[in-house]
Amino acid sequence: METHNLGKSFGRLQAVTNLELNVEEGEIHGLIGPNGAGKTTVFNLLTGFYPPTTGSVFFKGESIAGLDPHKVAEKGLVRSFQQTYLFMQSTVLENVLVGCHMSGRAGALREFLHTSKARTCDRQSRSDSMEIIRFMGLEPVANELAGNLPHGYQRALGVSIALACNPTLLLLDEPVTGMNPTETVEMVERIRNIRERGITILLVEHSMAVVMNVCDRITVISYGQKIAEGLPAEIRSDPEVIQAYLGKEDEGAA
Amino acid sequence: MPKTVRICLLSLLGAVLLTLPWMNVNDYILQVLVAFMPQAMMGLAFALALKVGLPRFDIVGWQAVGAYTSAELMLRAHWSFWPTILVAGIIAMLLGWICYRAALPRGMMVFLLFGMVIVLAVYQLFGSLSFFGGWGGTGILPPVALGSFKFTSRQSVYYLGLGFLVVNVFVYYLLYKSRIGRAWDAIGSSLGLASSVGVNVVRYRMANVLIGNFFLAISGSYLIACNQMANPGSFTFANSVGVMMYVVVGGLRFAIAGPLAGAVIITLIPEYLRFAKQWAPVLTGIVTIAIIVFLPNGLLGLFQKRVGPWLGKGKWLARLSGRSKEGPEVPV
Repeated sequence: METHNLGKSFGRLQAVTNLELNVEEGEIHGLIGPNGAGKTTVFNLLTGFYPPTTGSVFFKGESIAGLDPHKVAEKGLVRSFQQTYLFMQSTVLENVLVGCHMSGRAGALREFLHTSKARTCDRQSRSDSMEIIRFMGLEPVANELAGNLPHGYQRALGVSIALACNPTLLLLDEPVTGMNPTETVEMVERIRNIRERGITILLVEHSMAVVMNVCDRITVISYGQKIAEGLPAEIRSDPEVIQAYLGKEDEGAA
Repeated sequence: MPKTVRICLLSLLGAVLLTLPWMNVNDYILQVLVAFMPQAMMGLAFALALKVGLPRFDIVGWQAVGAYTSAELMLRAHWSFWPTILVAGIIAMLLGWICYRAALPRGMMVFLLFGMVIVLAVYQLFGSLSFFGGWGGTGILPPVALGSFKFTSRQSVYYLGLGFLVVNVFVYYLLYKSRIGRAWDAIGSSLGLASSVGVNVVRYRMANVLIGNFFLAISGSYLIACNQMANPGSFTFANSVGVMMYVVVGGLRFAIAGPLAGAVIITLIPEYLRFAKQWAPVLTGIVTIAIIVFLPNGLLGLFQKRVGPWLGKGKWLARLSGRSKEGPEVPV
């Protein structure tokens, strides 16, 4: 996936300016930056939640800028959310089933009449969902209501829903926010495992430890502009990045 | 056990509904029962749209479209009643598509405002155009006939209405249980998440609204069988808003059982408040507000909480409402 000259302005506020982002297949790419740098805006631009003001987004050689979110999801580019967006009144399994919306298609009339084909599709979706639930370590709580889960499980469920869409590129928006160290370690392990499934990952994260640890390449943005791109080691020593971001923090954290 | 309980209760309910007209009831009660059917269908349509996060205030408008389509076809083209039902449903769907094509992509508020305008416009239109008989309503129609049998007695009209209601409930139940229903629930609880997993929000909302329109038009046709005329006075904005109370009183979480229970209660309360004369509507309002304040999940929510544990942890009620809470079939 690559973007050219991507920009978004809200009124006179320029949130993202001329962003050139290039995510290679099979890598875990980190997108970092100080608070308000426009990371989430970039996510919203990539997945169709905002139409870009300028520039273009290419995914597998196809232009996807300005498409509706559900069209972008159909192309295989799926996101998780920074806020814990879940179907709180449904069980974990039902949540993940919703994620199977695209793969479980049997035709509206068949689904309405519950024909054998529709039921086969439904069973397939259920077993796919259970597989993802097991993969993400949510099996013990598969029948709990999402709203009753502890925070760490809820974040994992958010990622599970996105995984159920069979993405080729998964965009994770701060997956370890608010997690305790144990949960964080588990989540990092799962992110690696997701890549093992052949899914490319674009990761937005605040925790430098996680980003440096898990990412193959990192892009740093500040005030909506790219200031650096490269391997974690390069980023760590980039003077501009240190000035914009790391310099304000405890060096030990990086 | 819960499944047995559920089947027992449903058959008991069925038996009561089938024998109700013969249980030594007077004509007035029978009339209330006959008038209850379209109200219940309206409640179901409101709950249907609420699933995708759309509050509908246009309900009575589409009912009017159905009623007038049936009436005019029977009066002018001398059609039999039965095919007019289908035509009414299809016309309501077509008009709905034309009206909401522009409104739905712009979100819930625009939809809501469109709905209000539609109700008022339909009321004015049918009232002012002399083609539709003006404010006095259409002429008197012949009673609905099936072969040589005529639906003239109140009992027969009751069964006709019950038939429509059962078909309506069954269709909605099938939809709620399917992948379509799952997508609707997803849209209702989180629009952003639903579209991020590939649900075409506008399309699913449109399908939801049009299916609602179809059954609303059918309930309008039933009014024709019931009253043997269509009258703009039955299609006022106030009636449309009143439907919302059924759903709130019954319980927002119960898409099928909620509006049905709510419609029964809202229909019954005024009967028991007759002594209060002109204050009856005010008291009805107070009772409704009390339910909203003290029972946020409606009367069925209370029922599920108190009686549910006795009947298999309330699962049957959840299933009845079309929101399956059953455990996962863990594939081996």
